[in-house]
Amino acid sequence: MRIMIVGAGMIGQHLSEKLSGEGQEVVLVDSDEKKLRRLERELNVMPVVGSGASPRVLEKAGIEQTDLFIAVTDSDEINLIACIISRQYKVKTRIARVRNEDFYAQGTSRVEKTLGIDLVISPDLAMTEEILRLITLSQAVEVAEFGHGQVDLLGYQAKAGHPCVGSTLAELRDLQRTYHFLVVAITRGETTIIPRGDDKVEVDDKLYLVARRPDVPLVEKLLFATTSRLPRRVFIIGGGSIGAQVASQLEQLRIEVRLLEQDAKVCERLAEQLENTVVLNSDGLEAHDLLEEDIDQADLVIAVTSSDTTNILSSLLAKHHGAKKCITLISNPGFVPMLGKLGIDVPLSPRQVAANMILRYVRRDGGGRVVSVASLLGNDAEVVEMKVPDHDQFVDLPLKHLTFPYGSIVGAIMRGHQTIIPTGDTRLAPDDNLIIFFTSDAEQGVASLFDK
Amino acid sequence: MHTGGVLNILGKLLLLIALFLLTPIPVSVYYDDGMVDIFLRCAAIGAGAGALLILIFAPARELNLRDGFTVAVICWLGLALLGALPYWLSGQVPSFIDSLFEAMSGFTTTGSTILTDIEALAPSLLFWRATTQWLGGMGIIILSLAILPLLGVGGMQLFQTEMTGPTKDRLTPRIQDTARILWSVYLLLTGVLIALLMAGGLNPFDAVTHAFCTISTAGFSPYNDSVAHFNSLYVEVVIIIFMFIGGINFAMHHHFMRGKLATYWQSEEFRLYLGLALGATLLITAFNLHGTFYETVGDSLRHAAFQVVSVFTTSGFCTDDFTLWPSASQLILVGLMLVGGMAGSTSGSIKTVRFLLFFKYVRLQFRSLIHPQTVSVIKLGGNRVPQEIMTAVLGFFALYFMIFITAALAVTAMGVDLLTGTTAVIATLNNIGPGLHLVGPTHSFAQLPDAAKVILTFCMLAGRLELYTVIVLLTPAFWRTARWPELRRPKTRPTVDHK
Repeated sequence: MRIMIVGAGMIGQHLSEKLSGEGQEVVLVDSDEKKLRRLERELNVMPVVGSGASPRVLEKAGIEQTDLFIAVTDSDEINLIACIISRQYKVKTRIARVRNEDFYAQGTSRVEKTLGIDLVISPDLAMTEEILRLITLSQAVEVAEFGHGQVDLLGYQAKAGHPCVGSTLAELRDLQRTYHFLVVAITRGETTIIPRGDDKVEVDDKLYLVARRPDVPLVEKLLFATTSRLPRRVFIIGGGSIGAQVASQLEQLRIEVRLLEQDAKVCERLAEQLENTVVLNSDGLEAHDLLEEDIDQADLVIAVTSSDTTNILSSLLAKHHGAKKCITLISNPGFVPMLGKLGIDVPLSPRQVAANMILRYVRRDGGGRVVSVASLLGNDAEVVEMKVPDHDQFVDLPLKHLTFPYGSIVGAIMRGHQTIIPTGDTRLAPDDNLIIFFTSDAEQGVASLFDK
Repeated sequence: MHTGGVLNILGKLLLLIALFLLTPIPVSVYYDDGMVDIFLRCAAIGAGAGALLILIFAPARELNLRDGFTVAVICWLGLALLGALPYWLSGQVPSFIDSLFEAMSGFTTTGSTILTDIEALAPSLLFWRATTQWLGGMGIIILSLAILPLLGVGGMQLFQTEMTGPTKDRLTPRIQDTARILWSVYLLLTGVLIALLMAGGLNPFDAVTHAFCTISTAGFSPYNDSVAHFNSLYVEVVIIIFMFIGGINFAMHHHFMRGKLATYWQSEEFRLYLGLALGATLLITAFNLHGTFYETVGDSLRHAAFQVVSVFTTSGFCTDDFTLWPSASQLILVGLMLVGGMAGSTSGSIKTVRFLLFFKYVRLQFRSLIHPQTVSVIKLGGNRVPQEIMTAVLGFFALYFMIFITAALAVTAMGVDLLTGTTAVIATLNNIGPGLHLVGPTHSFAQLPDAAKVILTFCMLAGRLELYTVIVLLTPAFWRTARWPELRRPKTRPTVDHK
């Protein structure tokens, strides 16, 4: 599939890397020649210098042969114009990043219809959705859904006192007789491993498990002795569009929200927009302000200012004073690996979230054998969906007889509309979709799994 | 630097070459020259070494720019060592240094030879000699990019080390596809040439070996008197045309075949390339007539055209001994040696486009002397040439002459005379083949001292990989980034254990 990405910003780069890594033909258009030349060295993409809103540039970049058009520059107008220009060519799917609420606030579907854009994505809105998903779904620090929404991939931080800590996976496996879940990866320090039966869960591990949605609360209770329920007191630091949207959504869930914003004028506007939220004029870095508002009683702190440093420091400050959990917006991807060590529970990058949303959309109807991927596990591990080929040798083959490369595991099997969490005895059927988790070492082995 | 990943790629390339080492076997069987055993042994050595490297070292997850340089140089050295084995093990070239020289001359499409009697070699060995040139012409790393799963992301850093010229054309989003296109064009042209040569009455062996060495602008002929052996105007014209085609950017051939007929003429570089070839031919025709070296205009034109195109495209075939020509004609030939064909072609040397940019730069300097306040940019084909490219081009000239002077000094210091020594360096550094005087078309490099041969072998490699790639490896700063190779970890477990 030929993909054209306009805009080599953070989203564009992330998408280029993922898509070209999957062997897609990626053309990257940007007006910054230096940046493109660096990216050409690092990624297998064709760089084209110029503005994405220019038909001449798009034609030079081969829009005639393009199947998927993604406009993700920093400018809404360029993205929209680029998508409109691309309408006269035979582009199958168009995706645009639009930040300005005025362009879609009236109802996203209408903009999409009039402009012929298949997916309008707003990083702020995507971020809001992601935060709400994390809050409402479970105690997990990370969540991705697949298998028609029946199955979730959830990430948990294992802490001292959790029932799962200290037990081997073989012991956890015995619980599976009653509950359908499977531990597919463990992040320990900075490395991600695909665990085996004799691996033990340690304190501070990040556990990734696949579970059927109805079983999630019970599994959580069993492994982490927590009950899934909504937080009661939430602090939001930063009254930008993400903060405001999250606050208004949480209000509707009858959650007690305190919203901190340093700009007095913005505070006034927020107070006007919001109903029950307590709007505070503070930058979130004053311990005194936080303590006065009973930060020690907070179930959750959401730091979403435009500054990474403020977000990190205010989250740490809140946790120091007794807040239970924090969700922290981080724009600079270079910070993410060290945040776990600092005590930040859930780092979220708006661009990464937006890019992942685009990837999910693209892969939902994409061709080829790798159909869908959730790239949650950092850079070390990945998830692919692979179709079992229609060969006799694979029909009714128990999973344990299929030779998997070291560092890979089948997390779920999708059969028609049904999703199965497999055991070694699960038998394959033609047209099953296997969801395979693997570390980068096992990449080639996984790709050639069925090439026999 | 990811040493393990580099060695893993070397292993894959050695396997590929081991495969090609099997191709002379049918030739050997047909001519019954008793070389089957030698080639089988060489292929086994190559395959064994390759497999060992692949088994020991894990493939690289990513390759940076520095790794690209290392891959190119180490792989080319590995190829030359493996390619030298058939000459050496068969005993037909007794000295290992000579065998290495011949193999490197082959892969780098130089065409210089240490053989005094080429026809004494076994036909299958001559076939291998031509095959090395054919493989080296478009580039073995580009071939492996096209057909091996060498890498996940990136690839440009490998592609650019072997592709010639200051800028590299990327024809498709995926570099593998670009490599595939270039090799397909190359294969197609080779096929057409073989057919044309056979139509001219050449036997299949002669047609294939000459086609291999023509399209790659390499110049090994299995005959002592090179193309003059056939004494056929038709064969000479066909070879002139295909040497010329080999010296053109292969991306342009691709565009042309896709129906963009004006591609060639739109290129400034092509116009200069064509102009230089025509101008030099006419001048030499005139000089040679004047010196009454040839009787008729036709004769003079025929030999001038062949020698000019052969030397200009850095092929090195000959139909006459140009060392006997008037000095002015010889000087023009040496001048052409320094220019070479177009960027993105199989030709060696400095490349027409670098001279084009160089002269544009000089013109710019004149302009700014006349109009001190002027703002002007250097354009090529209507597009501005970025300053980095200009700096790289000027740096290339400086580096070129530094290497040339150093190598020439070293060779002449060993007692080789001035004309022989300097033209030997020019002939190898520019991947041409024959030089003047004692290394002229009728002589060979055999009489040079061993140490000089080693230096010239290095010159061939430096010339083929366009200097920077090789020279950067000689700087201590480069090696400070080297890491211990990553070894492979156990790959599979017997059954999956994940209930």
